[in-house]
Amino acid sequence: MNRWRFQRISNRILLYIGAGLFVLQAVFPFFWMVSTSLKPHVEVFAQPPSFIPHQPTLDNFKRLFTATNFLTYFRNSLIVSGLAVLLTMVVSTAGAYSLTRYQYYGREKIAGLILCTYMFAPIMVVIPFFILVKKGGIENTHLALILAFTSFCLPFTLWLMRAFFKTIPVQLEEAAMVDGAGRIRAVIYVVMPLALPGIIATSIFTFILAWNDYIFTRILITSDELKTLPVGVQDLFHSALIDWGLIMSAGMMITIPALLFFVTVQRYLIRGWGAGAVKG
Amino acid sequence: MAEESGAYLWKSSIAKTGPKRRDQLAGYLTISPALLLILALTLYPVAYSIWLSLLEKHSFFPQERFVGLENYIYLWKDPEFWTSLWLGIVYSGWTILFQVVLGVAAALILNETFWGRGLARAIVLFPYMIPTIVAVILWKWLLNDTYGIVNYWLMAIGIIMDPFCWLGADHIMLSVILMSIWQFFPFVLLSILARLQTISPELYEAAKVDGASAFSRFIHITLPQIRGILFVVILLRSIWMFTKFDTVWLMGEGAGAGRFIRTLPVYAYMRTLTYYQAGLGAALAVIMFGILVVTTVIYFRLFREEADIG
Repeated sequence: MNRWRFQRISNRILLYIGAGLFVLQAVFPFFWMVSTSLKPHVEVFAQPPSFIPHQPTLDNFKRLFTATNFLTYFRNSLIVSGLAVLLTMVVSTAGAYSLTRYQYYGREKIAGLILCTYMFAPIMVVIPFFILVKKGGIENTHLALILAFTSFCLPFTLWLMRAFFKTIPVQLEEAAMVDGAGRIRAVIYVVMPLALPGIIATSIFTFILAWNDYIFTRILITSDELKTLPVGVQDLFHSALIDWGLIMSAGMMITIPALLFFVTVQRYLIRGWGAGAVKG
Repeated sequence: MAEESGAYLWKSSIAKTGPKRRDQLAGYLTISPALLLILALTLYPVAYSIWLSLLEKHSFFPQERFVGLENYIYLWKDPEFWTSLWLGIVYSGWTILFQVVLGVAAALILNETFWGRGLARAIVLFPYMIPTIVAVILWKWLLNDTYGIVNYWLMAIGIIMDPFCWLGADHIMLSVILMSIWQFFPFVLLSILARLQTISPELYEAAKVDGASAFSRFIHITLPQIRGILFVVILLRSIWMFTKFDTVWLMGEGAGAGRFIRTLPVYAYMRTLTYYQAGLGAALAVIMFGILVVTTVIYFRLFREEADIG
């Protein structure tokens, strides 16, 4: 009896140690980023390093906003990711509705094709994409970037929306149609309210994907005033001596929107329908 | 289930909303914008890269010349190519192995009930959600040879005497592998955790009554249940690690030792944008694609049963 209880308690302790280690490895680098970003220049390089800044300061952030183009990059990131999400979501909501509500020849083949393109990695698309964009005369524009983001978000978004529409019973809209509503009215008043959480969650995943992109922006955008955050910050990293305090404050400012969005949708992820909700 | 309800709609739409022809038309109409965009923005570029790989083409100027298979022959004789292929295999092999082991372990732990579980799940997923550039600058700072906290700790507890040169030629592969595991194992965790939650608890209750140990419960109950999803996850991770560009490129850039982690995707990028040889770059992308297709087919042959479950 006693041995059994001892076993149970030691199992609990092991469980907490394991979970604690996993949380610690995930959180420590972020903690260190926050801590560094709040340190004055001398303290960043202090030996031994201090965990909590002795003289916390917002000086790094002040310099980030005034001495660099950070705000321009931030605005560009918002515009490009936002428009890419809008385009992707309109097209994929219609597409997912089609794949789950209509019967037609080749439907499952189309769904399979979309799943295949979901596996294409950016590096395989970006080289020909770059040459084609140059031929089309839209190099170095936000339009090219929005199209590029759409190309790698769309298969994933469509797949996710299809999974989501499958969970909405088709009988509901049929009932509405029997009651005399046309299909368009049935979609607007019956399907959309039910699909809204899925649409919001999918939009946010798509936004995070576009927000985090590096390779397409690096290749398609050359002028500084059109760059998005990841590329802008990389160039900050390169200019002259590395100013770690400044870099860490920039890192924090990119991470916060992504994490805020992630926190709002993470329950969808873990609940399961969105197990395929990630890419990269 | 979905197929059933589809069939149900199929019949009812004939009866209630008119001929099926109209429905078919509506179906094609609503899927066509998505299909057109995928064709134009993904499939056409990929097909075009096959054509591009047969050209000698400058990345910025319009001249191009058809050279047939010359780019491929060049690469066959190019020692850089073979080195980058090998480095890519080393990088993806180690990262996939540890992602799977850590991902499954973390999923098993976070599937237990304990205080603070919801928060722990969210936090462990953080590294996967941040932009790669942030992950890279974070780790470059942690691993900085003079001021990095990792070297400071290792020296403080006496594991090393002198600062360890994490981003130098000898250890940069190790560093990029460690960082990639940190960044990407949450994907495995997430997929496995979602599957674990659907396993009926009665299976475990029965095994406990029979006195099965935790280890044998894992082997005989959990493992068969997660085999299908594990099959898919390993496939996806292999594809994505083998073609991983941003993490490897950003980690190697400016470190001076980037040459020692020049994997195939990085080499393709450099051929296109450092040497301006778009034809060679495209040929490398096509080769990468070919390797992935062949590997995927072999993988499906080897593990056919799992494919059926998954």
